[in-house]
Amino acid sequence: MKNRLKVLRAERDWTQAQLAEALDVSRQTINAIETGKFDPSLPLAFRAARLFGLPIEEIFHDQDPAPL
Amino acid sequence: MKNQLKPPENGYQSRMRTSTKRLCRWHGWWAAATLLMAFGPGFLWHRALVPTLVAVGLDVAMGVGMILATKKYVEELDELQRRIFLNALGIAVGVGLIVGVPWTVMDAYHVIHSHGLHANFGLLVILQGLTFLVSLLYGTWRYR
Amino acid sequence: MYQSKPPESRYQSRTRTNVIRLFRWCGGWGVATALMAFGPRFLWNRALVFTLLAVGLDVAVGVGMILANKKYVAELDELQRKVQLNSTGITLGVGLIAGVPLSVLDAYHVIPFHADIAYLLILMSLTFAASNLYGTRRYR
Repeated sequence: MKNRLKVLRAERDWTQAQLAEALDVSRQTINAIETGKFDPSLPLAFRAARLFGLPIEEIFHDQDPAPL
Repeated sequence: MKNQLKPPENGYQSRMRTSTKRLCRWHGWWAAATLLMAFGPGFLWHRALVPTLVAVGLDVAMGVGMILATKKYVEELDELQRRIFLNALGIAVGVGLIVGVPWTVMDAYHVIHSHGLHANFGLLVILQGLTFLVSLLYGTWRYR
Repeated sequence: MYQSKPPESRYQSRTRTNVIRLFRWCGGWGVATALMAFGPRFLWNRALVFTLLAVGLDVAVGVGMILANKKYVAELDELQRKVQLNSTGITLGVGLIAGVPLSVLDAYHVIPFHADIAYLLILMSLTFAASNLYGTRRYR
């Protein structure tokens, strides 16, 4: 699944660690989502949407899911 | 201006530190209880049955506590970490199964002569522990 | 022109394929294990070479079975996978806290039977079946 997490993060000048804290997950998880290795759960996607003040579909784009 | 844009502080890391500490403490208790159970009969109470059974009960109780602490730990992990952890568990169970069965059969046929390789739980548990550790490292590396 | 039954979904048919594959591998492993267990006594008079071949075959089929299981779990949907992995975790936990005391009790001859790995595996299988059933019911 493609996403704009990295872009949105860069716009706000946040590090992965800071975004991780804000979303209540580990930095590793942010990295894996940004690189498309891991798809977030729905609750986590909603937390990200709330944090950035954007609708979910403007952050995450429907595409082939990440492999398990 | 930049500082205002900082996301609010949130405690995933500090929460996990607490959870990990609790997990380590329970593992320590279990290890201590297991040592008592393993060496107490020989060195402390001359194989008297009652203290041995008490030590076994203590060990199982500590074991249950350890499992519950692990359960809580897994629940508090974030979703990716949980996936890595549970995948590693699955691999450890699988390896234990496909190694444990031939091993026990070969032991029964006395194919394994060396005393150290006598098929017992202890060695299988060690093997599973190592498998778990390796697959945990692999999972962490894979999603890096 | 109502269809009496909804057509099978892609998920269902894919999972069915995976379950059949998993069953086949588990059966193969069962056969290889039986060969390894009884072959030395009934088929080749404990000739070491054949026994070692049978062990090799059993481990190879075992690896295949694990890979089939991995594929099965990977292609399950998210909830089913969660149930499956939770059961695996509980199984390993029970195996650990039951296995170690049993092993020690056997070493001190407290229990009347030999603490064989086979018993541990039986215990773990039963635990897995029970927690899988519980997990399935819980989300029903």
